[in-house]
Amino acid sequence: MATIADDPASPKGRPEGELRPLGRRRSGEAASVGRSRPTPWDVRSQRVVFGVLTAIAVVFLVGPTIIVLLTSFTATESLRFPPRGYSLRWYRALLDADQMQAAAWNSLIVAFWTTLASVVLGTAAALGVAGSRTRFARIADVLFMSPLVLPALAFGFAALVYIHLLGFHPSIPLLVVGHVVVCVPFVLRTTLAALAQVDRALFDASASLGAGRFMTFRRVTLPLIARGVGAGAFLAFMASFDNVPVSLFLADERTEVLPIHLWQQIDTNLDVRTAAISGVIIVVTIALMVLAERFAGLSRQLSR
Amino acid sequence: MASHVSRRQILAAGAGLFAMLPFRAHAQSKTLVVATFPGTWNEAHRNLLAPYFKKRTGASVTQSIQLATEQLAKLEAAKGGRAPFDVAILDEPQVYDAAKQGLIDEYPVAKSPNFKDLFPAYQDKWGPKISLQVIGIGYNPKKIKTPPKSYDDLLNPAYKGRVGLTALNSQLGMAFLAELNRIKGGSETNFDPGFTALKALLPNVGAVAANLGAYATLWQQEQVDIAPYNFNFVQTLKAKGVPVEFVVPETGLVGWTTSLHLTRNAVEPDLAVAYIDSHLAADMQSEMEKPPYDIIPTNSKVPLSPAIVDTVARTPADLSKIRGFDWTKINPQRTALIERFNREIKL
Amino acid sequence: MRRGNSSPTLLPVSDEWPLALPLAALFVVCFVAPFFVLLALSLHADADMMTFSAAQYAKFFGDAFNLSILWSTLWLAVRATLVCLVFGYPIAWVCSRAPARWQSALVFVVVLPILTSVVVRTFAWIVILGREGVMNDVLRALRIVDEPVPLLFTETGVIAVLAQVQMPLMVLPLFATLSRIDPNLGDASAALGAGAWRTFFRVTLPLSAPGLVAGCILVFSACATAFVTQTLIGGARLVYMPLHIYQQAIGANNWPFAATISVVFTVAVMIVLYALNRAGRMSKAYGDDR
Repeated sequence: MATIADDPASPKGRPEGELRPLGRRRSGEAASVGRSRPTPWDVRSQRVVFGVLTAIAVVFLVGPTIIVLLTSFTATESLRFPPRGYSLRWYRALLDADQMQAAAWNSLIVAFWTTLASVVLGTAAALGVAGSRTRFARIADVLFMSPLVLPALAFGFAALVYIHLLGFHPSIPLLVVGHVVVCVPFVLRTTLAALAQVDRALFDASASLGAGRFMTFRRVTLPLIARGVGAGAFLAFMASFDNVPVSLFLADERTEVLPIHLWQQIDTNLDVRTAAISGVIIVVTIALMVLAERFAGLSRQLSR
Repeated sequence: MASHVSRRQILAAGAGLFAMLPFRAHAQSKTLVVATFPGTWNEAHRNLLAPYFKKRTGASVTQSIQLATEQLAKLEAAKGGRAPFDVAILDEPQVYDAAKQGLIDEYPVAKSPNFKDLFPAYQDKWGPKISLQVIGIGYNPKKIKTPPKSYDDLLNPAYKGRVGLTALNSQLGMAFLAELNRIKGGSETNFDPGFTALKALLPNVGAVAANLGAYATLWQQEQVDIAPYNFNFVQTLKAKGVPVEFVVPETGLVGWTTSLHLTRNAVEPDLAVAYIDSHLAADMQSEMEKPPYDIIPTNSKVPLSPAIVDTVARTPADLSKIRGFDWTKINPQRTALIERFNREIKL
Repeated sequence: MRRGNSSPTLLPVSDEWPLALPLAALFVVCFVAPFFVLLALSLHADADMMTFSAAQYAKFFGDAFNLSILWSTLWLAVRATLVCLVFGYPIAWVCSRAPARWQSALVFVVVLPILTSVVVRTFAWIVILGREGVMNDVLRALRIVDEPVPLLFTETGVIAVLAQVQMPLMVLPLFATLSRIDPNLGDASAALGAGAWRTFFRVTLPLSAPGLVAGCILVFSACATAFVTQTLIGGARLVYMPLHIYQQAIGANNWPFAATISVVFTVAVMIVLYALNRAGRMSKAYGDDR
């Protein structure tokens, strides 16, 4: 059939013709046309198998988070689930946890500057590399994405050795630089994906209407990729806030960051305040995710 | 278009707000960065010593929880520059190495009024001894009805998978190996009997913890029911409601001293000395002696607590008779011992 | 003529390449250079880089202990990736066929774990896997076992936690690819007489290969280098490459050897990723690549 042969890359399925799209089928309807036929066993078995696996996987994915949240409300000193008695005491105890607060503040500052630098550098790089087929572009693309797949711990240690060689000591600015390297790929990825969706004709139109390059960027490109950049910025922020491998080496005792502090606490203490701060982190993450979804359409950006 | 513009305004406002954030880390008053041991120690230091110190100097404390060996490594790595922390807490074995490698400064006794109140044996020029740590056997009285009498009881097949150990980079692990070694006829230069004994113990071992804090977790989660353990750590767990009791083995207690030191190139040396001096104060040590910390005091003005008298030693003179080891002989073998442990003691 | 949106020649940006220079400069100075320094350090016998020698590599490869750590790390990552695949594929599949509103919710659920701090997630598992934890309570309640099963500090535990922590990395690329498969193909397959399972294995699965490979690459690499999870759940006994590097670098202060381990680890991961990439390329479905 002409439609299939011509348009194999049609995304999200909007074919012409009467065939109903696979992706939008309501559950319960048969694969073939016509509602009167009962669901064949193979479709049903497929649904059962995938459904069961999905259910297990969802429980698996969400369960631990819920368990931590509930455990953080325990009234006792031990970390048992289900908790024996409920209270807010551990959340109140967080108010006195000076060192944890200081570490959280450090993480926040580092994450902020990392996100800022990542957005600026990453967006510029995306614009420079998108759609280009030059060798430079392809090498740059691989290079910029490599921190995502190369062992971050090896990079962290390499960075420490490097700093030492140059005669520096670990400090917040250097920590930010290290974080930028491992977080900018997120911005790059979502921005490139957003750029790929933009229609070239818009740029031609803008140019033919007399707009200069910068004006085109400001009024045409930027608004179109804003959501992609926003999603990338959100991911970069969370990646920096949560980063352990680089912070292990570049953040020393005087510049403590929250994940390292928490890890130390868990490794040595296992006191319930860790559960309370985890609860706070979970709630804040969910809140930020809702915001990101609202303003940047996070789920769409991630599934491009 | 309207929402588009307002979103930009929000972003701009947010950026403006953030730009006012200081680049540097949050710091109101002065902060002293100190090292502390995991478990009872960091809790005692956080809950008792830090507030006491703050009242005395107005400065707050940032703790870095590290084992003695880790502290030495960090100090060594930072040699020549600023020390990563100003106060080091070391066990007996590490003090020799630290002094030799130039990682700590001699303790400025003149600036420390409480120093002279320590028993003479604990007044060391490299740093005052703040406590004595002793090890024996810890066991869960709910699961094990007859209290163990000696380390050999750990081999009881009834305890299969219930025995705990710590890795050798923790002092407890090292001391236990040395003690086992000594009981089985070895010496500070021959560790074969010790390793043979450990290997015989292997079938019973349920878990090996990286440090004393992780060890406490094993007890708390009831993964371990019987194991070698420090006196004061057992007391701390007991106070938290974990079922555990401390028993002195027939072969006797064995222990080592723990001390605080001023690191070389400390950023706040005066604050560091004030911190250490606070730890030596009689009122501070009597607080730390109480449950749940049960830290054995070294200040001569502090009477021994009932728990210590019951289990460990009736008088300070008895305390000084508790056996130790010649760490100058054991230290050079440390790396080799750790490697041997990693290789041979495989779960 | 307006083609599909995936054509790469949309933007007239081949002359915009200078925009990528700042990041490129940063990467060369702060990413590439440190790795070269690391490589240089690994080829010296001491931390001050005075004596040049390959002794560290001889030490690493000559010792079965080190090789066993490397092997167990890679094997651990492979198994965790397989678990992610088995459970992640169905989620992605269900997600791609769900109505739009459910899709956002499902993606939300999938993404939440990966955005929550890794320390928090791993911590949750300590509560669950302990002797008296939830897992054992459930197993005992269901009478599957009588005695509590040791799950914490075991490799099984590590694999399970790794799979949960990294699963979103598998689901997202798969979901992206699955939702881009032309639904006509599935219907054509059904119209030609293939059952649902046959369609799945002969049409859907091969077409989803790019997403599958991308997911496997991300998950494998993440699992191999998951320091926090490996050490918190594995404990001190299960030593994998990340902990080995950390112990040598910070614990033993043996920087040259730590550098050697880092280099070997990085190269090993790169080899596996390259192999995965090649496998993916051989089953390329469309002209566009992600």
